[in-house]
Amino acid sequence: MSYFLQLVVSGIVVGSIYALSALGFVLIYKSSRVINLAHGQIIASGCFITYALNVWVGIPIYLAFVLSLIITFFLAMGVERLFLRRLIGEPIISVIMVTIGLMSILDGIIYLTPFGAENFSFPEFLPTTPIMMGDVSISWTQLVGVIITALLIGGFSWFFKKTTIGIAKRAVADDQLAAMSIGVSVPKVFGLAWATAGLTAAAAGGIIGNITGLNFDTLHAVGITVFPVVILGGLDSILGAVVAGIIMGLIQQFAGGYLDGNWGLNSTAEVLPYIILLIILLIKPHGLFGTHEIERV
Amino acid sequence: MKTNKKVLICYIAASFILFAAALQPAAAQTYKIGLSLAITGPTSDAGVPYSKGVEDYFKYANDMKLLGDDKLDCMIKDDAYKTDVTKRNFEEFLDQGIELYLNYSTGSTLGLKKDFEEEKIPTLPASFHAGNLDDSNYIFLPIVSYSGQLIGLAEYVTKMHQGETPKVAMFIHPSAFGRGPVEDLKKAVEAGLNIEIVEVVEHGKDLDNTAMLKRLSSKGVQYVFCHTVQSPVATMLKDAQRLDVAASKFGENGKMTFLGIHYTGGNDLIALAGDASENFFWTTSYTLTSEDTDGARIQLEMAKKYGRDDKIANSHNYTNGIMVAQIAVEAIRRTKAKGKKIVRENLYEELNAMNGMNAFYPVTTVGPVTYSKTDRQGVDTLQLYKVKNGVFRSTGSTFTSEYYKKIQ
Repeated sequence: MSYFLQLVVSGIVVGSIYALSALGFVLIYKSSRVINLAHGQIIASGCFITYALNVWVGIPIYLAFVLSLIITFFLAMGVERLFLRRLIGEPIISVIMVTIGLMSILDGIIYLTPFGAENFSFPEFLPTTPIMMGDVSISWTQLVGVIITALLIGGFSWFFKKTTIGIAKRAVADDQLAAMSIGVSVPKVFGLAWATAGLTAAAAGGIIGNITGLNFDTLHAVGITVFPVVILGGLDSILGAVVAGIIMGLIQQFAGGYLDGNWGLNSTAEVLPYIILLIILLIKPHGLFGTHEIERV
Repeated sequence: MKTNKKVLICYIAASFILFAAALQPAAAQTYKIGLSLAITGPTSDAGVPYSKGVEDYFKYANDMKLLGDDKLDCMIKDDAYKTDVTKRNFEEFLDQGIELYLNYSTGSTLGLKKDFEEEKIPTLPASFHAGNLDDSNYIFLPIVSYSGQLIGLAEYVTKMHQGETPKVAMFIHPSAFGRGPVEDLKKAVEAGLNIEIVEVVEHGKDLDNTAMLKRLSSKGVQYVFCHTVQSPVATMLKDAQRLDVAASKFGENGKMTFLGIHYTGGNDLIALAGDASENFFWTTSYTLTSEDTDGARIQLEMAKKYGRDDKIANSHNYTNGIMVAQIAVEAIRRTKAKGKKIVRENLYEELNAMNGMNAFYPVTTVGPVTYSKTDRQGVDTLQLYKVKNGVFRSTGSTFTSEYYKKIQ
C-alpha cells in the first residue's frame, strides 16, 4: 500500500509542476488564441535569472525568486510589445511562426551565456532530509514546489474571476470585437497575458531547476513535455491545466511503477500519457475543460 | 642557331633554380584538421570543454613547436548535435583539404561512417560507441568503448560484491548512444560474467524517479549502471537520497550502489546533484585534476596559459579534447619524423603502428594509446573514481576488462 501511496504523492507533485508549467501556455492562449512555442525557453530563462541573482549577485534565494518573477514578467511583456503586438489581426499561423523564431532567438541568447553549455545547481536552502508520512516521503523542494504552484494557480483563478482586468481578459478571449466595443484595450490584455505567462514560467523554472539542477536542455524540454497536459486540459482552461497535469503525473508514476520492467515493457511512462491523450481527445476533442466553440456558417 | 642558344639559356636558368631550391630549407607546412561538434544544443555541456581542449592543445603544439616550424590549423565548427549539419561541416572541411578529422556524437559517427571509408580519412570521434568500429577501418576511438567501460565496471562489481550473484539494473540514455553497450554487457553475462541484469531502463525527461527507484528496489537491484549524460543521473541520485535507497558505501546491503561510465561523471555531476553524488562510482580512462598527477598539472597549466576558467580547466571533457588532439599531433609528428608526407594514408598507417614499443603515452590518460589494424580502441586501461566529500577520488588501481576481450 505504501508503494501505491508513494506513487500517488509523487504523481501529484510532478503533476502540479506540469500544471504550473502548462499555465503559461493557457494564459496566452486564453486571451490571444496563440500557442507560444518559446515557452520552454522562458521557463529556462526564469530559472537562470533566479540563479544569477542568488549566486552571482548575492541576493537571498527567496528574494531572488520573487525578483526573477518580476523581471520575467516585464521581459515577456517586452517580447509581446516588440514582436507580437504588430501581428494583432494577422493569421494565427503567422504569430505561431514568430514564436518559433522567438525560440531560436532565446536559444541563441542563452547559448551566449554560461547557462547555455554549463551545468549549475542552486545552493541548498531547504533541508535535505525528506518529510516522511509513514513510509511515504516527499522532499522539501517538492513540497515548496507544490505550495507555490497551488498559490499561483489559486491566485490566477481568483484574478480571472474577481478582478476587472481578469474579467477583461476573459472578455477578450470570448470575443475580441465585443470586448473592444465596450472599451477593453485588446493590446493591453495581450501584453498582460504574455507578462503573466512569463511570471508563471519563471516560477516553474525556479522549481524545476531546484529539482533537476540547471541544465538548459532539461529545462527548455519541459515546454514540450507539458504540451500534452495543455491539450488534454483544454487549451484555454486553468482548471484543465491543473487536472490534466495531475492526471499526467499520476499516469507517468503508475506506468513507471507497475508497467515498466514487466512483460517486456519499458519507457511506458513516456508513451502512455500520449496514448491516453489520444483516447481522451477522441471522446472530447476540445480537451477535458476546453471551450467548445460552435461556429455557424 | 638562335633557337639553340635560347634553349641553353633556359636550361641553365632552370638548373640554377632547381639547385637554389634544393639548397633552401623546406618551407614550413600547415596541416589542416577539422572538428565538428555540439557547441550549442544537446550535450553542449560536454562539447564546449571538449572543443576548448582540442583548440588549446593545437595552440600549445604550435607555440611549443612540437612539429618544428610546421603549423596545425584546426577548424572547429558547431553542429548543434545534428547529423545533417555534421555532414555539411565534414564536406566543407574536405573542401578545405583536411588530412585528419575529429568527430563528436555517436549518431553522426555512425551516420558518416561510410563517408570516412570513402574518403579514407582517419577519424577520432568523441563517441566511444563500439558500433562505430563495425565495418569501418578509419575510425579510431580515443579510449576503450562504452561497452568495455561498462563490462569493466561490472567486473569490478563481481570482484568486490559479497554474497550471491549481484543484481544489476542499467539506466541508459534513450538513443543509439545509450543502447550501444547493452547487448555487449548481455554477451559478457552469457560468456560467464557473474551478474544478473534485472532491468534496462531508458530514462525520459523525468522530474521524479520515485516509481523507477521503488520498482528497482522491490526487485532487489543492488547496483545501477548508468550510461547517459549527467543531468538525468543527478535527478535520480537526488531521488535515491530522498527515498533512502542509495548505498552509503559500496555494496551496502538492502541499498543500491550507483555507478557510471565516462559521460555520466565529472564535476558537472557533482554540480548538479550536490550531496546526493557522494559515493557515486565512475570509471574513465582519463586522469582528473582532483588528483595530483603530471597530467593534471600539465592540463591546469595549459588551461591557465590559454585563459580558461576553473570550470573548463577541471572538466574531464577538456581532458578528453586535449587527449584527442595529442593523438593527432603525435601521429603527424611520427609521420614527419619518418620523412613521409603528411597525408591521410600516411597518418592512417602511423596510427595503426601505434602499438607495442610504439605505443603512445599521453600524460592525461591512465594507460597508453595502442592502435593496430585489429584494435582501434586507444586506451584500454580504466580507473575507478568515487565521489568523496564533493570530489572525485581514485579508488583502487587501474584495470582492463577481461570479458570485453572475450566477447570481441
